[in-house]
Formats: sequence, structure tokens, C-alpha cells
Amino acid sequence: MRHVPAPSPSTALGRRRLLQGAGGLGALAGLGALSSCAGADARASDDIAFWHPMSGPDGETMGELLEGYMATGGAAEVTQTVLAAGAPYYTKLAMASAGGRAPDFAVMHASRVTAHAQGGLLDPWDLDLLAELGVTQEQFPARIWEKMEVGGDLVAVALDSHPFVLFYNTEIAKAAGVLDSSGLLMPVSTPEEFRAMALELGAQSSSGYGLSWGYLGDGVNQWRMFSTYYSQMGGTIDLPVGGRMEYQEDIAVAAIEWILSLIDGEVGNPGHDVGTAVSEFGTGSSGGYFGGVWEIGSFRDSGVPFDMTMIPGVFGEPTAYADSHTFVLPHQSNPDEQRRRTVHAVVAHLLKHSIDWAGAGHIPAFTPVIEDPAYAQLEPQSHYADAIDHLVYDPQAWFTGSGADFHNYFGDEMQNVWARRIDPLQGWNAFVARIDALLQKPTPM
Amino acid sequence: MTATDGLAAPTRASAAPSPPDRREDPSPARVRRHRAENIRGWAYMAPFLVAFGLFLIWPTIYGLWMSLTGVSLAGTKDEFIGLDNWAEALSDGQVWSSLGNTAWFTVLSTIPLVVIAMGLAVLVNLGLPGQWFWRLSFFMPFLLASTVISQFWIWMYNPQLGLINEFLGWFGLTGPAWLQDPNTAMISVVITTVWWTIGFNFLLYLAALQNIPQQLYEAAALDGAGGWRKFASITLPQLAPITVLVLVLQLLNSLKVFDQIYQMTGGGPGGATRPIMLYIYEVGFTGYRLGYASAISYIYFFLIITISIAYVVISSRRSVKA
Repeated sequence: MRHVPAPSPSTALGRRRLLQGAGGLGALAGLGALSSCAGADARASDDIAFWHPMSGPDGETMGELLEGYMATGGAAEVTQTVLAAGAPYYTKLAMASAGGRAPDFAVMHASRVTAHAQGGLLDPWDLDLLAELGVTQEQFPARIWEKMEVGGDLVAVALDSHPFVLFYNTEIAKAAGVLDSSGLLMPVSTPEEFRAMALELGAQSSSGYGLSWGYLGDGVNQWRMFSTYYSQMGGTIDLPVGGRMEYQEDIAVAAIEWILSLIDGEVGNPGHDVGTAVSEFGTGSSGGYFGGVWEIGSFRDSGVPFDMTMIPGVFGEPTAYADSHTFVLPHQSNPDEQRRRTVHAVVAHLLKHSIDWAGAGHIPAFTPVIEDPAYAQLEPQSHYADAIDHLVYDPQAWFTGSGADFHNYFGDEMQNVWARRIDPLQGWNAFVARIDALLQKPTPM
Repeated sequence: MTATDGLAAPTRASAAPSPPDRREDPSPARVRRHRAENIRGWAYMAPFLVAFGLFLIWPTIYGLWMSLTGVSLAGTKDEFIGLDNWAEALSDGQVWSSLGNTAWFTVLSTIPLVVIAMGLAVLVNLGLPGQWFWRLSFFMPFLLASTVISQFWIWMYNPQLGLINEFLGWFGLTGPAWLQDPNTAMISVVITTVWWTIGFNFLLYLAALQNIPQQLYEAAALDGAGGWRKFASITLPQLAPITVLVLVLQLLNSLKVFDQIYQMTGGGPGGATRPIMLYIYEVGFTGYRLGYASAISYIYFFLIITISIAYVVISSRRSVKA
């Protein structure tokens, strides 16, 4: 039998007293309006509150998946609250969890899970209950399961992984003669081969560029690219709190120089932000595009003929910088057991139907879905499914991960390197100094 | 008013016998009426006082307490740590560089936002045809949200596809990556800010210009004053009070800059445009260190208070000398 914590009298009374006081004052009666964004105990008992940051095609797909769940017999109502992605989302989630009145479940990136769990902001999932619902550890790739466990507890249930990949224009690639007999991009295994292929693509493109990559003012995309090649070269980063960043300087500089060679004005455009890079590839003006799998929707809408592949491992094993959307139980002071059971059932349903989620580009984390023949028929999704065996997440620290400041700091210090105003080592050292200073500060988790 | 006038007045008042004060009539009816008026007064003020106390006074006191603790957004470590956060903030290079950025932004934005606003208002006030069009044109951007403005100008500044570099290209010039070059990022944000917000100052000046009595200009014209002379000797002095108001409002707005920088550059590149408000936001809301963010806020608060007091003292000394 699961332990149900006793209600905390101080919390409940405190809030009640405040509201009573506000009601007495009359002027604060408007506070009642706040109840719509309140935590679990302010709603009807069978209404499940779900927060997530997904908008656009991802948000639509999530909505359809939830509709699917609610159409099943005996299902509860699930109310979605879609919040602005990135830092604002995590701020709100952390505040709600710290107050103990969080939504019943929420989406969180795997890269943020450890820090939030260590800070006591996440409640653990019930493994037995998940198993009862047909969800077990063996059904997840080891790398992903490892990211979901903290201190022996399962604190997140991964829905997917969404790696940084290479899109390519199939018509341009065909004209450039870089497709193999099955119509896929020819494999390349050295930097020289990759560059030659990119130049071939560029020669057939109206923009003259073989690759589009948006980086201006976007530290996240800069980090994705850097992390991909740095890890291909065997580079690792450790961030010991109270210590100094541990890394391989020569590999870092080599990775930066390689990226610079891809935005030299010959292979790729030297001055794109993400929007213009998407636009360049989406209008069929360039041969390839480095980006996240979620761009599938944009490129389908634009009508450009494209396929996708993992970024070739020209410096060794291919790697895929990635993050994963996971389901978490933000900390509640007074969790309702029945509602928690329902949340487990909702998540089990979403995992089992994540073939629909794959339609938006994400690689499902639930292996039975990937192994389903229906997934193999999904194109181009199945063409980069191998990425799930080569995922590289952010180094672990309380300030890393999606929506955290780590990527912004990288972008801040490296922008001048991409613009060729300072040399790679100078930019890298400035970034390291910034991170070292952060490591010396007290952790807020 | 001279210094003597100002000092003598209370002496005269205290020396003269006080006239009988009807308000001190102790009749019970009057006392009851007075009490009722008092209660009504407090009742009218109560909503404001409650809101003021809840949303300004209490947060201000609580923020000061937070700055003395290690409280985090994650709800942990709220133990008292004394002045550790303050000491850390004073030795944090990012605090000083973002303060410097704030000061630089304030200087760069305030001057054109006062001078150009006045110039535009004077031009429009000359009686040019289609006044409604000029007023609308100058004021319209102010009505737009900062997100709209930011996105609009991000596209304008785009080094590859932006209108600005396209325009420069017509003359054979290659423009920089405006928002990504540390040499041009701040000035780019300032240009956007001036374009966006000048309408408000422009309207204040326009209203002030329309309040200047026409007789002054007519008298000056009779004395043979030309356009420039009228501007220098009538318009400018008559605009002095509104200029002080515009300047103070503008300084306060510029010192609080956040929205457009957050959206256009995120404080980059390399922190070249990060104002103190953005750093406080980063530390407190994305870095979760509320105690430390509070300490930086208070340092900034005290800095502004110190400058304000110095300004008031210097101004009052000047007026006393005058």
C-alpha cells in the first residue's frame, strides 16, 4: 500500500486564512480569479492538471494524444496549460513545485531533471504502478532511463528524444549526385569528404550554399552544433560544483575551427540566425540544414522536398546532441493518491501511443513503439532513428539544460568567434571563465 | 522666491497671533462630524492602502530580508547569511559591467529622446500642413508592444536579409551584424528604443508648446525678433519645466530598460548589452538565486537613491544661490 502523506495543516490554514482575510477586505475579492491557475487541491477531484511548453505542431499533437486518452473508457479529464517555453516555463514550474501546489504532472526536459529532483522539486513515479500499466525499465533505451533516475528514484518518464540532425534537399542532393542507390545521402567518414559533399550540394543550390545553419544571437543552436562535433571528437565536459570546468582544450578548439569552416561563406552562409536559415532551406535555396528534428513540420508546410539523417560522424562515432521531453510529477505537498494513479495511467497511454508523437519528428523513447513496423514506415523519421543509440545530453549541473543559462553563456562568449573577431581559444576561455565563476557560486538546488 | 522670503515666512506666521480656529470648536456635533469625515476618508483610502502595503511596502521589506538569506526559487536554503550576498554582488564583475551597460544605455537614449522629441514637437507645432499625420506617425510606434517592436527591428537589423544592410548595399557598403557585433549592438538597441518611445515625450512637448501664450511671440515679433531668437528666448525657457519632467521620466525609464534588450539581444553578444535589470532577472529567475538577486536589486536601488539625493541637494543649493 502506498503511503499517503497527511495534509499539512499549516499550509492549508495559511492559504484559507489569507483568502478569508482577502474576502473580508472585499477589495481583494478578485483573488478568487487566481484559483484557475492554482494547484491540484483547488480543482475537482478527477480533473488532472497538466503543464507543458509545447506550442505549434507539437502542441497540436499533444492535444490530440490527450483527446485520445480522454476518449478511452473511464478516463479522467486532463486540462492542458501551455506556458511559454524556455526559462519562463522552468521558472513557473520551479515556483509551483517549491510551493507544493504544482500541477498533477508536467513536461520537463531530461537535461533539467536531475537538478530539479535534487532540489526536492520532483516527486518520484511509482514503478509498480507503471509496471501494472505495462510500462517497465526494459522498454526504454539505457541512456534515456539513466537520465530519468536520480538517487535511485524514477523522477521522470521520457516521452522521446529530439536530436540535432542534418536535413537535406532530396532534389538538390540528387542533382549533386550525392544520393546512394536507395535514395539516401551517401555515407561520408572524413571531414574532407563531408566538405566535398557540402560543396557539391552548394553547387546545385540557388543560394550557392550546401548547408544552412542559424546561429546569430542563438546560444542554444551554437551549443548544439559545438556539442555534436566536440563529442564526436571524444570530448567530454564535467562541471563539479565548487570546482572548475573539466574539458579537453585541444578538442574544443578543433571543434570550433571545424564549425568555422562550415560557415566560411563557401560551404555555408556566414551570417544566419535560425529564422533565416530555416527560410533558406525551406524555400529550397540550400542543400542542407543543421537543426532539431522538430523542424519537420515547418519544412513539410513549406513543401520543400527533404530527407533527414544523423549528422555524419566524420571525426569518429556519430553523435546526436539531444534532449528528451519527459513527464514529471512536480512536488505536491498533499498529493491525492487517486489522482496520482490517474496520472500514471495518462502517461502510460501517451507512451503507448507515441507513434503519433513521432509524426512531429521526435524519436519515441518507448521502445515498443520504435520496434513497431508502423514506425519503420514513417519517413523521414525512421532514417534517423539510430540517433537514439548515440545521444549526447548537456553536461550535468544545476545551470545546464534546455531553458537554462548555460547555452546563453556559450552564445555570449562565442558570438565573436563565429564572427571571426576573436580566435577560438580566446572565446572558449572566456566561456570557461564564465562557467568557472558560476561553479563557485552556491547552488540554489 | 528669494532665500529671505523662504526663511522669513514661518517666523512671521509664528509671531502673529493665531486667528480663532473654527475646526477646534469642541461642540459634540462637530466632533462627530469630524470623526465621520475621518472614517470616510480612511474608507476611501483603504483599498489603495491595502494594495500599497501588500504589493509595495511588504515586498520591499521582504526583499531586503531575502537579500540577507540564501533563499532560492526552488524554496531551499533560506537561512540567514548576513551580508554574504551583498559582498558577493559587490565583487561580481557581471554586476559592474551590467551597471555600466545600464548607464551607457541611459546616456545614449536619454539625450536623443529629449532633444529629438523637442525638435519634432517644435517642427510639428510650426503649423505644417497635415499635422494629424505627423502626430500619428511619431506617436504610433509607442502604442505597439515591445515584442512587436523587437521582432520588427530584429528583421530590420538582420545582416543578410534586413532592410538596413540592403539599403547600405545600394551604396556599395556592407553593414555589420548589427545586433551580434559588440560594437554596434548597444547603439542598435538605442535606435530602436528612440524610434519606439519618442512619441510619448513628443506629445508632452507638443502639449507644452501649445500652452505658451501667443502674446509672447507677438510681442517679440514687434521687437523685431527672428525665428531663432524667439525659439531661444521664449520657447526654450517656457519649455524648461516640461524638459525637467521629460528628463526625469526618461532617466527612470532608461534605468529600468529590460524588454527590448531581453528580446533583441538577450544581453549579448558577450554581455555587451546586458543591463542590470536583465542580470537580476537571470540571477533570480533563471538562476533561481532569489537572495542574491535581491541583494543586487538593493545595491541598484541604493545607487539610484544616492544619485537622486545628490541631485536634489545640488539642485536645491543652486536654487538657494539663485
